[in-house]
Amino acid sequence: MKRLLTATALLLASTGLATAEGTLQLFNWGNYTSPELLAKFEKETGIKVTVTDYDSNDTALAKIEAGGHGFDLVVPSATYVQIFAEKGLTVPLDLAKLPNHGNIAPEWQNVSWDEGRKNSIPWQWGSVGISVNTDVYKGDPNTSALFLDPPDELKGKINVVPEMQDIIGLATRYHGGEYCSEDLEVLKKVRDTLMAAKPNWIAMDYGATEKMTNGDWAASVNWNGSSMRIRLDNDKVVYGYPKEGYPLWMDSVMLLKDAQNVDNAYTFMNFILQPENAAMISNFARYANGVAGSTEFMDPVMASAPEVVIPAEHVAAGVFPPTCNEKSREYMTAIWTELMK
Amino acid sequence: MAKPSFQAARIPGFATIAMLAFVALYLPILTLVVYSFNSEISMSNWGDLTLNWYAKAWANEQVKDATIRSLTIAGFAAVISTALATMAALGTTRRKAFKGQTFIYVVINQPLMVPEIVTAVALMILFGLIKTVTGVHGLGYLILAHSAFCIPFAYLPIRARLEGMDLTLETAAADLYASPWHTFRRVTLPLLMPGIIAGAMLAFVVSLDDVVITEFVKSAGQDTLPTYMLGQMRRQLTPEINAISAGLLALTVLMLTAFFLLTRKDD
Repeated sequence: MKRLLTATALLLASTGLATAEGTLQLFNWGNYTSPELLAKFEKETGIKVTVTDYDSNDTALAKIEAGGHGFDLVVPSATYVQIFAEKGLTVPLDLAKLPNHGNIAPEWQNVSWDEGRKNSIPWQWGSVGISVNTDVYKGDPNTSALFLDPPDELKGKINVVPEMQDIIGLATRYHGGEYCSEDLEVLKKVRDTLMAAKPNWIAMDYGATEKMTNGDWAASVNWNGSSMRIRLDNDKVVYGYPKEGYPLWMDSVMLLKDAQNVDNAYTFMNFILQPENAAMISNFARYANGVAGSTEFMDPVMASAPEVVIPAEHVAAGVFPPTCNEKSREYMTAIWTELMK
Repeated sequence: MAKPSFQAARIPGFATIAMLAFVALYLPILTLVVYSFNSEISMSNWGDLTLNWYAKAWANEQVKDATIRSLTIAGFAAVISTALATMAALGTTRRKAFKGQTFIYVVINQPLMVPEIVTAVALMILFGLIKTVTGVHGLGYLILAHSAFCIPFAYLPIRARLEGMDLTLETAAADLYASPWHTFRRVTLPLLMPGIIAGAMLAFVVSLDDVVITEFVKSAGQDTLPTYMLGQMRRQLTPEINAISAGLLALTVLMLTAFFLLTRKDD
């Protein structure tokens, strides 16, 4: 009994000692951090990085808000960067400690959710579009009509991922509305289109990488990285950038207010702003990074992929959806609930 | 006692239905294990037979770390919750119902009745507060959380065993001048052992499996195996996950077999 108590006391104390010199606690999405990157970082600086996983922005936000978490860096998605900053859970970056801050690619230096990149630095970014198997459908893949008004060849063969913000966003843009629209006319059209299109969808599920590789699905609303992986297995699959407007996403690194290892955090952020290290992240996670000049260090398969490097004619249609306010979220939730019935 | 005239096993088709049920339950798991030997990443193609993924999982520091942590927490939680559950069972059974007994019963079984996410968020907020105020970090919080929700799982088998026990044995011991503590140690406890072991096993497995509560209560560097696997979901799954699952399955089966053999000498 006494041994049990001593062991428990030791365990209670032991992990607390881990936040000492030479460590860094990174709170990141699962399977998103290259082990080689961390090994290289430890070799160069002697700082050991421990990664803890989360599976959704909401979980991360809830845990950070509850306090007592022990993390130093967190990697939220675009819309959540604003939320974290506004709630005071993170601190603005001290640019004097980030000499490599200028390495951020010019197109990502000023984003709507972080002007001048004062709160976050890019980790990975991508887009949401449509993967199409050109054996089944030979028309233009660059339109949301593929899932909102499926052509005959794709009826009953196209999947739609159950991501509320992305799908309603795509549908709103399809009808000419703005993201986070509160215009009831546009929203009614969005709802009607989605409800009418739903019987033509084969599923509302994830797993396009599997299902399109083996041919179960002929098309799917999908993330660009997943589409690239499908194409590498089955070269008939192309990635369409909806011309009516498609959402971009970006995960960025932020410094938490109650971080214990602030200097180590800056060292790490500086480290990943170097092109060759940003390329390591990309090669592992298979998405684009936001650092200029990293393409030459990236895997050639990725550097030349139209899913990763957006072709010039499609760049303009890609926007970061803003954080929607209460009212528009209510509308979106209402439409989504009805759709999911 | 008269033999029951109705025996479920005698219904025609019983064996077939039982087989079908087993197959339906275990086929997905079997598929998982089979594909852990697949050299192709995608489950749609079958490549060659390989042990690569097992080697990868074995070499994966995060997996090893998470596994050890899972087992440690489960071990401690099983011991603590079984001890507490035994005391609770002894206190609430085989006696005249006292005032507030139902309330005590509800409190003990609360983790079973309340949705797990509610328990998870409540614990996260509570521990977050404590951590901020005291600055004490560590695995203890996870162990506490796991012990708490494992108590009802240990409690129920022990209670069932107690209810079925013969009270006269204890009365006989008392007649023979045995003190209550002596009676407990030499008569009640040995008779109760199968129930306690069953409760401990159940508590261990439940703690090992837990995702939701651990996901919310964990802090930096405290991934357990299930939360590690949950974190992998968002990205492309490789058969490494299959290998890890197969390993966990093998461990659980081994453990259960060992316990079954150990407790086979029945009273």
